[in-house]
Amino acid sequence: MSNPILENIRTRRVIREMTDEPVDPQHLEQILEAGRWSPTGGNQRPNRFVVIDDPELQRLIRLVAPGMFQDAPILILICVDLATFHHQLDPEDDPLYPIDVGKAAQTMALAAHSLGLATGPVTSFNKSAVKKILNLPEDVAPWLFLCVGHKAPQTPFAMRGAQRIRWQDLCYRNRYEAWDR
Amino acid sequence: MAKASEKRLLSEDQAVELIALFLSSARLLISEPPSYGPLRLLTATERLSNMILDDASPTTKKLLQICIDRIPHTYTLANEVKEYASAMDELCEALGECLVDRAKLQGGSS
Repeated sequence: MSNPILENIRTRRVIREMTDEPVDPQHLEQILEAGRWSPTGGNQRPNRFVVIDDPELQRLIRLVAPGMFQDAPILILICVDLATFHHQLDPEDDPLYPIDVGKAAQTMALAAHSLGLATGPVTSFNKSAVKKILNLPEDVAPWLFLCVGHKAPQTPFAMRGAQRIRWQDLCYRNRYEAWDR
Repeated sequence: MAKASEKRLLSEDQAVELIALFLSSARLLISEPPSYGPLRLLTATERLSNMILDDASPTTKKLLQICIDRIPHTYTLANEVKEYASAMDELCEALGECLVDRAKLQGGSS
């Protein structure tokens, strides 16, 4: 595969162990800009990105984030500003913004990977506690932490898949006909 | 309640850290995949083992070290039920040995 973008997609991994080497501020800004370019439903741009580089705040967040195994130098919290959806009766029911969060996370993860950085997404955290810890406004809902740093030399904690999956196993043609048929 | 002669192994900060893990997990697990439940318990076991390893008695230290050494690998097996159960059985066997040693049980057929 010679296309560098496809190669970047194929080689990115979720990294659960990182070194304490700091992230170059310019690289961080490039990752945040990549998040800004991530598409959003209706171009409403509800995503907000909170960068946490304060070690004490990071420690407190890890306490209420059972899914966060990384000790990353940078945490980027992707939030949704529910005020964006003020025209809707109940923005909590909006089906689009979780997709927007996922798109931003993946875009930023790929940007980081292209810069030689490691990332790991974390959604297993207590939202109420994190809102308090980070002083988030009422309308701003935390959704996903993207841990950013440098991959540790040994990262033993990679969960094995239940089985080896090819792309053809996940894809169908037309009326749900098997790809390999 | 612990006997007065037993030394305290956890600091208040460490205890709060564990409480944070338990409470956060209890809330999150309502909406997370069922397989995450065992993983959260393993995380708590690993963290507690690291917290008290240095000050534990030799008998307990042996179990703690086994937990610290094996739990990271056990996580990776979470999607393979048989291997996961087997790895957990080995950890529980080590736990049983520790309990017997701590109770200073004598005799037995094996």
